[in-house]
Amino acid sequence: MSAGEQARGGLEPDLSVELGPMRLPHPVLNASGTFDLLEAAARYEGDLVAELPFAAYVPKTVTLEPREGNPPPRVTETAAGMINSVGLQNPGLEAFLPDLSRLAALTAPVIVNVGGSRPDDYVTVVERLEEWLDGRRTGEGPDVSGYELNISCPNVATGLAIGADAAATADLVARVKAATKRFVMAKLTPNVTSVVEVALAAQAAGADGLSLVNTFKALVLDGETLRPFLGGVTGGLCGPAIKPIALRMVAEVAGAVRVPVVGMGGIASGRDALEFVACGATAVQVGAANFAGIDAPRRIVAELGNEMRRRGIASLAQVRGRAALPMRA
Amino acid sequence: MDADPALTPDSGHDRRAVSRDCRVVESRRFGAFSLLSLASAEIAARAVPGQFIMVGVPGGRFLLRRPISLHSVDGERVRLLVEARGEGSAVLAAAEVGDTLPLAGPLGSGFRLDGVRAALLVAGGIGAAPLQFVADELVAAEVPVVGAFGFRDAAQARLVGAFEIDPLWVASDDGSLGKRGTVVDLLDTIDVPDGATVFACGPAAMVAALAPWVAARGLRGYASLEAHMACGAGACHGCVVPTRAGYRRVCADGPVFALDDLETSSPPDPLAAGEAS
Repeated sequence: MSAGEQARGGLEPDLSVELGPMRLPHPVLNASGTFDLLEAAARYEGDLVAELPFAAYVPKTVTLEPREGNPPPRVTETAAGMINSVGLQNPGLEAFLPDLSRLAALTAPVIVNVGGSRPDDYVTVVERLEEWLDGRRTGEGPDVSGYELNISCPNVATGLAIGADAAATADLVARVKAATKRFVMAKLTPNVTSVVEVALAAQAAGADGLSLVNTFKALVLDGETLRPFLGGVTGGLCGPAIKPIALRMVAEVAGAVRVPVVGMGGIASGRDALEFVACGATAVQVGAANFAGIDAPRRIVAELGNEMRRRGIASLAQVRGRAALPMRA
Repeated sequence: MDADPALTPDSGHDRRAVSRDCRVVESRRFGAFSLLSLASAEIAARAVPGQFIMVGVPGGRFLLRRPISLHSVDGERVRLLVEARGEGSAVLAAAEVGDTLPLAGPLGSGFRLDGVRAALLVAGGIGAAPLQFVADELVAAEVPVVGAFGFRDAAQARLVGAFEIDPLWVASDDGSLGKRGTVVDLLDTIDVPDGATVFACGPAAMVAALAPWVAARGLRGYASLEAHMACGAGACHGCVVPTRAGYRRVCADGPVFALDDLETSSPPDPLAAGEAS
């Protein structure tokens, strides 16, 4: 770092970003299924709803019908990461809506993460949410700014049936876009030969944004029995172990698309977040690092500011895409 | 389901969890087990028996916190009984006086002790951990308490040294300490107070064997369950156990469950369908 950059270290860096219609004070969101605001607010001191540590809140995947999920055990730690096979356990849309209403005091926008057993389910969930949002009274629930389509969970069938198939992804995105005027981003799986191909298909079908990467399909054994440890047999790997692969995929996709990219995969520090922005991400999601402690997101945002200050970076736009990879023919 | 304390504030006493770095003020070793005392007036004031703490493993090698039952509370200290079982818990068990550990808690439901006229405390191995706190509260309320702990072998039975429960009956699988056999075998040989409530903690097999014993005697029984956990706060659904009402989260719906709510039959082998016979 030059002496001039050191001198600029006194500037207060601007962490704000625009993600579609959302103006966010910083780029750090939670990854779906790793932070439950109502549960956390009920359990931890303070007022997490009023003082959400994330710039936007992504609830756990909601499906049309309740889902029981996969048999336990469902999680365990791995080298520099963890594996899960939860299988989208959730109480279904009808139980989700009252929970959404309980977040009326939330000032940050909500991005509803939608899953399904088949394409029709995604569309129906979005249609019913739109009806509910149109019909609700003022002050009933928070600002729902968009949707994230979970077409990439490796622990349910649609994770590969839709998310690994460019045509199926495009078809689903187009149908959801026809059902809402809100921001729609598709959450992409890394379990494909070319994530760029799926990303371009989603963009062509009208996706307003792309988030990546979901977890890597993986296997851990019980050390004693040498049999699969997880009740669901295979699971999804996440955490710092996957960060370099996730960075590469974000850099490839950001180099190929026009729509904003939300990067994730092993982000545990402010520097990690900055690296994803340098690869072209507009915003980032923190997943497994939430499990390291309720303070993790606040720390990551503070560290991101410090990293920018130290480097003399005034705004994230200054470094965004610096490491994005140009698309190869 | 219990009322949501964040949205329905009750007496004004905030019992919700705090997240703090806490200093180890005492460490006692019992073989592979360590009884750590940590300074946290806040957790000590908020905790009830049966709750747990998510403990961060120092050193940066481990991502997930470890759920550890509260063994007991003493003034402004909380005690955690840690078994050096895997690499992460071995780091925790090696903590020395003066070290700092990141604690988040108290978390989870506790055992309900109001209305209990007599108690039988049943444990298998490290499952004994939360039962000292139960005993302390009940003895203070002059409720008679009987303990029955089962261990694999003499090495595991060393953790008895971390308990002050009287009377405390002991069994071991290999007969090296107390009666030879399981803790449920032991129960048939001891005097259980009439109308005792059973408080249990231990491996799934012990809980499965205990449930019919309790039901056959018409007693009420509760178990605090162990599970691999990620968030510890109801978000990830990683720690579920099968109950009669479907999968329930150990961290958020438990760790304490009524014995007759649990589904104790073993699950089918997930690989069986794909294997040649």
